[in-house]
Amino acid sequence: MAPKNRQSTPQQPPKLPTTTASQTPSKSQSKPSTSSSSSVRNTQDARQIAIGVWNNYIDATPQRVKLLDAFMVFLMAVGLLQFVYCVIAGNYPFNAFLSGFSATVGQFVLTASLRMQTNAENKAEFERISHERAFADYVFGSMILHFFCVNFIN
Amino acid sequence: MAAISQGTGSKFFFEGESGRNTRGLLRLIILVTIAAAAVASRLFSVIRFESIIHEFDPWFNFRATKYLVNNGFYNFWDWFDDRTWHPLGRVTGGTLYPGLMVTSGIIYHVLRLLSMPIDIRNICVLLAPAFSGLTAFATYLLTSEMTTSPSAGLLAAAFMGITPGYISRSVAGSYDNEAIAIFLLVFTFYLWIKAVKEGSIMWAGFCALFYGYMVSAWGGYVFITNLLPLHAFVLICMGRFSPRLYVSYTTWYALGTLASMQVPFVGFLPVRSSDHMAALGVFGLLQLVGFTEWVRTQLPSKQFQTLLRGLVLVVFAAAFGFLVLLTVSGTIAPWSGRFYSLWDTAYAKVHIPIIASVSEHQPTAWPAFFFDLNMLIWLFPAGVYMCFRTLKDEHVFIVIYSVLASYFAGVMVRLMLTLTPIVCVAAAMALSNILDIFLVAEQPVEGAQPQANGNPRANGPTTATEKLASAIPDTLRSTKTPVVGIYSYLSKSAMTGAFTAYLLLFVLHCTWVTSNAYSSPSVVLASRLPDGSQHIIDDYREAYYWLRQNTHQTAKVMSWWDYGYQIGGMADRPTLVDNNTWNNTHIATVGKAMSSREEVSYPIMRQHEVDYVLIVFGGLLGYSGDDINKFLWMVRIAEGIWPDEVKERDFFTARGEYRVDEEATPTMKNSLMYKMSYYNYNALFPAGQAQDRVRGAKLPAQGPELSTLEEAFTSENWIIRIYKVKDLDNLGRSHQEAGAFEKGNKRKKSGKRRGARVLRVD
Amino acid sequence: MRLIQWASLGLISLVAADSNLTLESRNILPSTFKPPQHFQNVNLVRNINLEKNYVRETVNVVIENVGKEAQSEYFLPFEPGTIARIGGLEARDKKDPEKGGFVAEVAVTDEQSSTQFYKITLPTPLQPKGQLTLSISYWTLASLNPLPAQIGQTDKQYVLYTFSAYAPSAYLTQKQKTKLKLPTTDVPDAVTLPKSLNTEGKEDPQKQGTSFTYGPYSEIEAGALQEVSVRYEFTKPLTHSKLLERDVEVSHWGGNVAFEERHWLTNRAASLKNHFSRVAYQQSAYYNPPMAALKELRFPLAIGSEDPYFIDDIGNVSTSRFRTNMREANLELKPRYPVFGGWNYSFRVGWNGDLSGYVRRLKTGSDGFVLKVPFLDGPKQVEGIEYERVVTRVILPEGAINVHFETTIPLISNTTSLHRTFMDTLGRTTLELTAINVVDELRDRELVVMYDYPFSARFRKPLTIFGGILLVFVVSWVVGNLDVSIGSKVKAA
Repeated sequence: MAPKNRQSTPQQPPKLPTTTASQTPSKSQSKPSTSSSSSVRNTQDARQIAIGVWNNYIDATPQRVKLLDAFMVFLMAVGLLQFVYCVIAGNYPFNAFLSGFSATVGQFVLTASLRMQTNAENKAEFERISHERAFADYVFGSMILHFFCVNFIN
Repeated sequence: MAAISQGTGSKFFFEGESGRNTRGLLRLIILVTIAAAAVASRLFSVIRFESIIHEFDPWFNFRATKYLVNNGFYNFWDWFDDRTWHPLGRVTGGTLYPGLMVTSGIIYHVLRLLSMPIDIRNICVLLAPAFSGLTAFATYLLTSEMTTSPSAGLLAAAFMGITPGYISRSVAGSYDNEAIAIFLLVFTFYLWIKAVKEGSIMWAGFCALFYGYMVSAWGGYVFITNLLPLHAFVLICMGRFSPRLYVSYTTWYALGTLASMQVPFVGFLPVRSSDHMAALGVFGLLQLVGFTEWVRTQLPSKQFQTLLRGLVLVVFAAAFGFLVLLTVSGTIAPWSGRFYSLWDTAYAKVHIPIIASVSEHQPTAWPAFFFDLNMLIWLFPAGVYMCFRTLKDEHVFIVIYSVLASYFAGVMVRLMLTLTPIVCVAAAMALSNILDIFLVAEQPVEGAQPQANGNPRANGPTTATEKLASAIPDTLRSTKTPVVGIYSYLSKSAMTGAFTAYLLLFVLHCTWVTSNAYSSPSVVLASRLPDGSQHIIDDYREAYYWLRQNTHQTAKVMSWWDYGYQIGGMADRPTLVDNNTWNNTHIATVGKAMSSREEVSYPIMRQHEVDYVLIVFGGLLGYSGDDINKFLWMVRIAEGIWPDEVKERDFFTARGEYRVDEEATPTMKNSLMYKMSYYNYNALFPAGQAQDRVRGAKLPAQGPELSTLEEAFTSENWIIRIYKVKDLDNLGRSHQEAGAFEKGNKRKKSGKRRGARVLRVD
Repeated sequence: MRLIQWASLGLISLVAADSNLTLESRNILPSTFKPPQHFQNVNLVRNINLEKNYVRETVNVVIENVGKEAQSEYFLPFEPGTIARIGGLEARDKKDPEKGGFVAEVAVTDEQSSTQFYKITLPTPLQPKGQLTLSISYWTLASLNPLPAQIGQTDKQYVLYTFSAYAPSAYLTQKQKTKLKLPTTDVPDAVTLPKSLNTEGKEDPQKQGTSFTYGPYSEIEAGALQEVSVRYEFTKPLTHSKLLERDVEVSHWGGNVAFEERHWLTNRAASLKNHFSRVAYQQSAYYNPPMAALKELRFPLAIGSEDPYFIDDIGNVSTSRFRTNMREANLELKPRYPVFGGWNYSFRVGWNGDLSGYVRRLKTGSDGFVLKVPFLDGPKQVEGIEYERVVTRVILPEGAINVHFETTIPLISNTTSLHRTFMDTLGRTTLELTAINVVDELRDRELVVMYDYPFSARFRKPLTIFGGILLVFVVSWVVGNLDVSIGSKVKAA
C-alpha cells in the first residue's frame, strides 16, 4: 500500500493545491525520523523538494503521460476504497474482494509499466518495444488480468 | 553465430538470408532429433514390459483422468470421491492439481477430433516422454538466452533430453505431475528471462500464464514463486533496478498470482501462506523502488537519494514486521511442514513421521548426484563460474537458481528434479565454451553442433573444423589468452577427443541408468530365469484383479496407504487411506489396526466397515519392499496419535533389534500385521524350517493363528495377501471363543494334511 | 475408459440375461394357448448327453398326423424358465438329413409362468395318417447345478441334473424312452422310479456303464411330466460366458484381418467352502488333480495367425503361450488366478490373420469381395464352454457397400452401422450379429460376408492422410510467413 500512498501525493494537487502543503509535511516528518539527522532544515527541504518535484512534473510531462497518471491515481483510490471497506466491513466474500482488489492493483502496475515503456527517458531500456507494441502488450495484459478476475469473482 | 558470419571459407549456405534459413532448418532438425532421442530413451519400460501406468501416484492421476474424460470437466471440478478415505471421502476436484489430467484430457479429445481415437491409457503412458521432448526444446530456448553460442542451447537440449535425473520422473508410464511440470518450469523460466531482457508486458504475461499452468500442475510451483522474487530482489540489491525489471516482475506477479488462485486447491494460499509472502514483499518493494527511481529522475539530488534509500529500508522493515505479526496472529498460515523439513532435515522425522516415511523425501546420498547427472555435475560449477564472469541480469538468475536448487537437491531426493535443468544449462554453457575455444575458427560452431547433440561417433566435422582452424591461426590468437599450446593440433585433438569420449560415456551411462534403474513399473516385477530369459512376477495385478472381479463393488479394502491409489485404480474398490496423505489421523488409525492385537484391531475394522485387509509380504520371494519392513512407520505414525496404546519400543527386542523370528517381542508377534504376514506360511515348509527370505530369519515353528480374519486370497508368490474380516459370530461369542470351540475339528484336519505330505515324500 | 466400457457391457450382459426371453419372442401366443392335438408321437427316443458342462438333448421322434387335414406346425413344449436357456435348436428329417433343417422358432405365450413352445414348421405339410421321423437337437445352458453348492478346494464336485423322465411333448406319446450319457460311473444319486411305470416292468433306470436308461414308457399324455434327477461327479469347471464380443476387422490396405474377442467368464461350479488357500493350491499343483477351477484356456487358432495378445482391464497378462508352426497355432492362456466356483474373469484376446486367408475377390465383378471367418473362435475346452450371448461385429473397410451375410448359426438380430476409428472420414461399415445360447461346439460354424468395395473408396484413406499432411504444411507455412510483430509495422510506416 505504502508506495501508492507516496505516489499519490504529487498528483493530488491539481484539485486541491492546499492539501499538498498539508500532506507533504506528514511525509517529510517521517523522513527525518528515518535518517536520524532530523532538523527543521530537513522539513523545509522536503517541502522545497516536493514543490520542486511537482513543478518539474507539470512542466516536463507530456499530456498523454498525465492521462495515464490520472488513471493510476483513480485506480489507487478505488483500491484504497476497497481495502478500507474490507478492513471496516469484513472480507466475507473473500474471493470477490481479492479479485476486485487485484484487478485494481494489476491494472495499476500494467499502466505503470506502459508509462515506463513509453517514457522517452527509458528509450535505451526498451530498444525493441515501440509505443504501439507497448500499447498492444498493455491491452493483452489487461485482457488476461480481467479474464482471471471475472473468472475468480464467481 | 557471429563466428559463423565472419567465416571466410564457409559456403553459400551459411551466409546471408539463405544461410540463416539453412542454419535455422539445421537447428530445427537437430532439435527434432534430440526430442526424438529424448522420447525414445524413455520407452524402455514399454518395450520391456508393456504400456502400463507405473508406481503409485500415477494410478490416481490415471483414475482421475479417466473420470475427467468420462464425466466432463465440470463434473471433474466438483468431483467428490466416496471411494477413497472411507468413510470420509475426498473432495478430489478441490484437492488436486488438475493440470496433468486436463492436459491429457485435451490431448485425448483433440486426437478424437482428428479421428485418432487413442486409448486414454496410452495417452497417459506416453505423456511424460512427449513432454520431455518439449522440455528439451524449452531448455534450448532458455540456454540460448544465456549465451551467444548457439551450440550451448543444442547441447543443453541434448543433456536435458537424456539426463537420468530427469528421466527418473518421466519414463513412459510414470504419469505424474512432474511429467509436465518440468517442462513448465523450464519454459516459465525462459519466458521470465525473456521478459526481464526485453521488459515486455507480453512476455511477462505469457510467463504468468505458464506460471498459472505450472501452479495447476505441480505443488513445486512454490519454487518459481520464490525464485523469481529472489532474482528480482538480488538485482535490486545489486543496484540493477531497471524499468524492465519493474515491468516484467509486477506484470508477472499481478497476473500470475491471479492465475494461480484459479486453481481450487491453491485458492487463497498466495495471499495467506508464508510460502508466497516473499513474492508479495518484493512486489511492494519494487513499487517503492520504482517510485523512488521516478522521483530521482525528476530531481537528481544526492542528499535526497540517501533520504529515500533510508525510507525504502524502513518501509521494508515495517512490512516485514507486519508480515511476522500477521503470521504470529494466524492471519497468514505459517510455513508448511514440508517446507520446514527443507531447512532442518531432522524436522520431519521428529514432527511429521508421515512425511519422513516417504523414501523420496529423504536426504540425497552423494552418489546419487553422479548417478543422476554423471559428467554434468562437474561441468556444472564451471558453467556457473562463467555466469559470474559475464554477469548480466539473466546470469544472476542462473547463479541464484543453481545455488538454491543445489541445496534443495541435497536435502530431498525428489528435488534433484529441479536441479537437473540448471545443471544441464550450466554444463552446456561450459562445454560449449570449451568446444568453441578449441574448435573455433570460421564455422566451428556448426561443426560442434552435430557432434554434440547427435552424440555420436561422427568425428568428421571435428577434424574438418580443425583443418579450417589451423588455416587461420591469426584470428584465433587474438581471441583468447595467448597460450601457444592451445592452437596446436595435439592439444586440440586431445581436448576434443577427450570430450567426445566423455560425451559418449555420458550417453552410455544415461542409457544404462535409464534401462536398469528407472524403467521398472514397480507394479510388475521382473526377474531373470537361470537361462537368462525374463520372468515376470505379476502378483500385484493378480491380487488386484481378483479383488476387482470377485468382491462386491463396494467392499472396503484396508491396506497401508502406499497401496491406496493402486487399489483404487486397478482393483476399483474403496479404500481407507491412500497416497494423498492429507489426514494423518486416519492413517494412524490404520497403523493402529495393523500394529495392535486382534482384539483391539477388530473393533476398529468393524467401525470402519472394512471387508478386506490387504498386505504385502515379500518373505517367500525375498521382496524387500514389503509391509513388515514398513511396519515401523505404521507404528510410529500410530504412536504419534495414540502414544499410550502403541509404543515403538515394544516392537524392539531388549537388545534393540527388530526381529521377526523366535525372539521377536510378544507385541510384535501379536500384532495383526505380523500374524497376517506369516499366517499359514510355515505350512509351505517342512516342519520348523520356515524361512523369511527378506529378513533372513527362521520363523517360529508354530505359526500365528488368526481368529477375526480369514485368508481370502494369496497371490502366486505370496506378495499380496488378502484377508476377509469375519462377520460377528452367530452365537454372539467372541471370535477367540469360537475359534477355541472349533479347535478339535481343526486338529483333525491338520493331521490329515500332514499325512498327505508324508505320502508325497514317499 | 475401459472401466466404463466394462461397466456398461456388464450392464448389457445383465440386461441380456433377461432379454434372451423377450428378444426371441417373435410369435406371441395367448396365454391359454394349447397346441391342437392333430399329431401323435408314435415312437420317441431321447438322448441326453451330460459329458460336457452344458446338456445336449437329441430327440428322435416318429410323428403321425392323426387329424383330418394336412398339418405343418409341430410344437415342442418347454418348462417355464428353460426356454431362455435353450440354444441351437435344430430339427430335421431323420430319413433325409441332407435336406437341411426345418424352420424352428420360439413361440412363447405372453405369460412367463406357463409352458413355452418352440414351433417347428415342416417344409411340406404332413398328410393325414402320414408319418415322419423328426430329429430334434438342442442345448440347455446352465442346467447343471453343483450339489453341495460349497466344496473344499481339492474336493470332488458333484452336479445335479434334474429333468423329466417323460419327454416333454405337446402330443400323446405312445412309446418312449430316455437315455442318459454320463461322463463318469461315480453316480451317488439317481432317482429310481417304481417298476410299475415301466412298460417292461424292469428296474428304472437301467444302468450300463456310464449310460442310464429311463423307460420305455407307453401311452404318456400330452404335457405329462415325471421329475427325476441324477447327481454325478463332475470335477470340472462349469465355465459360463456371460457375454462374448467379437470383432473382425478387415483391412485391405494392411492386408490384414484383425480378430479380437472380449470374454466375460464366470465359473458356475461349486464355490469354496473356506476361502482360497494358496498353500493347498500349491501343494496340489504337484499332482494336478481334476479341479472345479478354471486354470487354463486353449484357443486353437487358424494356422498362420500371428501377434496374439491377452490383456484384461488392468493390462497385459503375462501368463500366456503361443505355439505356432506349420500345422497349428495354439494360444494357451492362463487367467491371472485360478477361477474357482462363483468367481469371474474377464479378458480380451486378439490376433491377426493374413487377408488372403479370409477374403476372396468375387469372379463376377472387380469390386465384389467375400469374407469367410468363423462366427466365433473362443477357447476349446474338454469340458466345454457355454455362451449366454455372442455379439460378433464385422468391421469392413471404409466405403464398403452392399453387405450381405450367411451363417448357419441361429441369430436373433443383425444390424449394419458405421464405426469411426483411426483416420476415418465417414466411418467403416460394420455388421453386427447377435446370437444367444451358443456353445463351443459351434466353433467351426462359418460366417460368410459378401460386400462391394469400390475402387474409389479404396483411395479415400491415402487421400485423407495426404490432405491432412498438406494442410499441416500449408498452415505452418502461412503461420511462418505471418508478420505479427507490431514494432516492425511501425518501422515500415
